[in-house]
Amino acid sequence: MLRSDTTGFTFGCLLPEPEVPLFGDFVKAPAQQGLTEIIGVIHNIVIEDDLFVRQLIAAPDLPDAYIQDQRRNRQIPIEVSVLSVGYSSGNTMIQGLPPQPPVTLDYIKRCSINDMIAFTDRQDYLALILNSKETPVDELIVAALQRASGARPIEDRALFLIQAGKELARLLSDDLSKLDSILRRIQVNT
Amino acid sequence: MGLELNKLSEQVNKMGTTLASRSADIAARLPKARATLEKITNNDPILETKIERALSLHWTGAIPTSEPVHAVFPCPKHPERANIVAADGSQVYPDRHGIAMYYLINTGSIVFRYGLDEAPVCSSHPHLFYEDHDLYPNEALIPSFLVNARRDIAELRELAQIATREVKTAPTLLMLDNGLLLYLGLQTKEYRQSDEILSEYLETLSDIESTDACIAGVIDRPRTANVLRLLRLYDIDNATFDTDEIRTLGDYSQLTDRMLFSTLKPGERSAIFVNASPQNLGKYLSLGQKIMFYYVNAGTKEQPVILRIEIPEWVANQPEQLSLTHAGIVEQARFGNGFPYVLIRSHELAVVTWTERGHLEQMVAGSMRRSGISAVISRKAQGKQWTNSAKRRYGQ
Repeated sequence: MLRSDTTGFTFGCLLPEPEVPLFGDFVKAPAQQGLTEIIGVIHNIVIEDDLFVRQLIAAPDLPDAYIQDQRRNRQIPIEVSVLSVGYSSGNTMIQGLPPQPPVTLDYIKRCSINDMIAFTDRQDYLALILNSKETPVDELIVAALQRASGARPIEDRALFLIQAGKELARLLSDDLSKLDSILRRIQVNT
Repeated sequence: MGLELNKLSEQVNKMGTTLASRSADIAARLPKARATLEKITNNDPILETKIERALSLHWTGAIPTSEPVHAVFPCPKHPERANIVAADGSQVYPDRHGIAMYYLINTGSIVFRYGLDEAPVCSSHPHLFYEDHDLYPNEALIPSFLVNARRDIAELRELAQIATREVKTAPTLLMLDNGLLLYLGLQTKEYRQSDEILSEYLETLSDIESTDACIAGVIDRPRTANVLRLLRLYDIDNATFDTDEIRTLGDYSQLTDRMLFSTLKPGERSAIFVNASPQNLGKYLSLGQKIMFYYVNAGTKEQPVILRIEIPEWVANQPEQLSLTHAGIVEQARFGNGFPYVLIRSHELAVVTWTERGHLEQMVAGSMRRSGISAVISRKAQGKQWTNSAKRRYGQ
């Protein structure tokens, strides 16, 4: 973890890691010396500019070994920004901003399927995403709902998305075009 | 206050004009230098006598070998399979204003298996030095040139270890991002460590020789003028010249060997010369590690890049090893914009950034506090941290 505040945090990871984070993924970070775990949704992934790679692109007939070196060995940092949407304290999941941000150099983990199902059982976190100024919120909501839906058994997905749609309809009653844009993309068959 | 760039603009303009005029001046001296190089023939008894006399006067020129001094050699074919290895090192010097006295040497290495489409093997090894005998080898704080020399030995040892493993699979070229003549400052007599370090360095070179790998030190943008000193010596008519006459470059003043050999075509190398430095002809020669050098154009027709390549005599004497240094460096430079790719990567693996240095300081501070010792930086260092982090200027 590189930096944080109450509304979110940014962490770094290496490009060759097998589990490259995805936009809309749910992740968690420890806070308050392990008393709580902050739950967040990835809203931006930045791969920093690399002058070395730039000049290699211009090289003719680049052998595969050089490409492998760049992809597997080089520590090209990618910065991943996360929007905090809730936290867990003991066995309780709370949807809302955490009392404290995570501390730098803490390790960030991807949420397990059970974590995702438990956290998205209620839909209050959707309001936090909608109020965020960080990102195209409709894109983030679609991606997050797809992850949360995909974590559930097939037979539960339709009900989950219908409940999410109802909550969005309530929250976006004054912005029907945005609501329409989101609902079109969270069809049950996704 | 910081640097007020607006106050520098006039000086910068004048500097630009001066540099342009100096550059034209220097270029005008090049044709004569090249003409003299063409005139020198091998086995010239007069030049040989002059070289002998010059060596007795601690001359630091270039001694010709069996290759004609103006010869040019095209890039040989690269072996279909070879191991190209590079190691580099970086250091954190002891800081008397820091939280504790220590220094760090970090070596990075890369093994590039040419001919196999697989990712190279990379590694780095950090080593912290904090014991009294490390920090105060002569009852005084270790000077920076000794830290550098220890770093150079660490790089060479890393290469020796890798060579032992890699030579079993293919011809192996080891590369360093500097010359092979270890720089040991003024080598003042009070630093007996200089001798110990040089012996250790030369022993490691011998270890590499025994592995059958070859080694080359690569110097980018060399400022040396060893070959020009040879030209100067050739020009001197007075057979009883003294030190003053050979100390200067005469008509070749401010030229460099790099300029002299800038006519090399892409991939071509110059003849091989022996570095006549007293250090080389002293301990290096006596231990069978005499250092020789050549220049190579590792760039393109549009953007020539003249590198100075230093090799031990045992590499120069084995045609296959010599060819591998030449072809290996040119091939690697194709993907490093004129500088060997593996050297760029080994530097990247070795370098200690300011951020990493800050993290190391935090780790050291934590360890000290856990052991009940206070970890504070000096007042001066603290003041610098306050003022350097964000320069602000109000009023004025």
